Amino acid sequence: MITFEHVSKKYDGGVKALQDVSFHLDPGEMVFLTGHSGAGKSTLLRLVLMLERATRGQVFVDGKNLGKTPSRHAPRVRQRIGMIFQDHKLLRDKTVFDNVSLPLMIAGMRYPDIRKRVRAALDKVGLLSKEKSWPLMLSGGEQQRVGIARAIVGMPPILLADEPTGNLDPELSQDLFDLFGQLNSQGVTVLIASHDLSLIRSMGRRVLVLSQGRLVDDIAGADVGRSEA
Amino acid sequence: MSAGGLRRRLRAWGRRQLYSFFSSLGTLLSHRLGTLMTVLVLGIAMLLPLGLYVSVKNLRALDLQQQDWGTITVFLQHETGENEALALAERVDQQHGAGVEAVSPLQGMEEFREASGFGQALDLFEENPLPWVLLVTPLQADDAGLEETVGELAEWLEVQDGVDLVQVDYKWLKRLAGLLELGGAFVTVLTVMFSLAVVVVVANTIRLDVANRAEEIQVLNMVGAGNSFIRQPFLYSGFWYGLLGALLALLLLSLSMFYLQRPLESLLDAYGNTFEVSGLGGRGMLFVLLAGGLLGFVGAWVSVRRYLRQFRLEKARLQR
Repeated sequence: MITFEHVSKKYDGGVKALQDVSFHLDPGEMVFLTGHSGAGKSTLLRLVLMLERATRGQVFVDGKNLGKTPSRHAPRVRQRIGMIFQDHKLLRDKTVFDNVSLPLMIAGMRYPDIRKRVRAALDKVGLLSKEKSWPLMLSGGEQQRVGIARAIVGMPPILLADEPTGNLDPELSQDLFDLFGQLNSQGVTVLIASHDLSLIRSMGRRVLVLSQGRLVDDIAGADVGRSEA
Repeated sequence: MSAGGLRRRLRAWGRRQLYSFFSSLGTLLSHRLGTLMTVLVLGIAMLLPLGLYVSVKNLRALDLQQQDWGTITVFLQHETGENEALALAERVDQQHGAGVEAVSPLQGMEEFREASGFGQALDLFEENPLPWVLLVTPLQADDAGLEETVGELAEWLEVQDGVDLVQVDYKWLKRLAGLLELGGAFVTVLTVMFSLAVVVVVANTIRLDVANRAEEIQVLNMVGAGNSFIRQPFLYSGFWYGLLGALLALLLLSLSMFYLQRPLESLLDAYGNTFEVSGLGGRGMLFVLLAGGLLGFVGAWVSVRRYLRQFRLEKARLQR
């Protein structure tokens, strides 16, 4: 579903964010991406979203070679990916319903279908009663769940999350990861960047470890929790 | 692509347009004060050329009443009596084949009293100060030789006994026509200038709009919105600005016309013209509204095209 082949990313200033990174995610996999801040986690996710382009190597998403995809087709790539941000990135002047419905509006879906899908997505994250609220009226955890509803409302085959639990307390973080697990069990490929090691360990899933732009470890799910003392 | 697929995509496109259409309207309404100020500026900018256009148009309508053009007004000397005046009128008619109307001092006084409103002041005169007046109209249908005919006739009249002053309306009407032509040219110049102003004002407003919504644009970009989806609400906003500005300009124009109508009509009455002040008419108004909307759209387009590109570059630079 997501494949990196010897991918390097060098920014204009000369900073090497990623160096020779290779890995492959099968459809329906759930994988964590970890490492210190500045290790290149965000850059990796931005490459998948086509917000950046690789300086070297090839990135394949959903069967598409992103290096050969023109920028004007980037929206089509992004429409197949649900993205969850640490700071939610909700639009403050739109209601919860309008925020969640954005991807469907962009797809030009019929309004009755939009209603159905948005309510289903809000129901899944347990916020159906808040559809008319404004984002600022919600708690941090609720805002994050609105962000997740927006990411899954278009039923994308891929879900990316960048430090989704960064601002949440442990209990809420656990709930959130359980929600990701649930979505994954329905066939969605999930890639989560996080540095919450104890939480990652508790999930027992495959883990990619980045350090200074290099992929230093790729631990299979069965080995997670055992490998580190 | 199959026909069904194309139809589906067209429908999706239509729904996106609808969404942009309403979301742009919602944005304008949620920033009422800012919208109001922009619309006010646009309205006034559009009012100036429109007002001048309507003025010139009305003056043109005046100038169309061309039967007055060739009329020569002959003021006789004060001591000239009725017999001499009528005799001169007779001579003009016979020798030059021109229509002559003799206006006695008494008639003149009555007309003046009605038209000027100086009735009571006129009562102060012990005797009528007005002389006999002959209104001479050469009998010539076409315009071509009119100026010459009038000129010759005026010269002849000037040297007749008992004639005090010969006044040729032709000359000042000609000057008026010249002024009107100038006015028309002025309307064109003003229209071009102020259209440009409308485009610039809308472009600047939209530029600020884009800057204020940088975060929203970024989010839309990341959840898969294409350039056109991001651009459209701004283009529609531009259209709304222009349309509302034009609407305001028309409203202000109607108000000013309503205010000016009475004094203008009584003034024209005094010149012996029955004349109705005419506005733009339904078609004209529709045209102004559409033109306003179009100018706003163009302004937004100019701004969004340049600014979104710049914004994207900047964003890329910032996120290193």
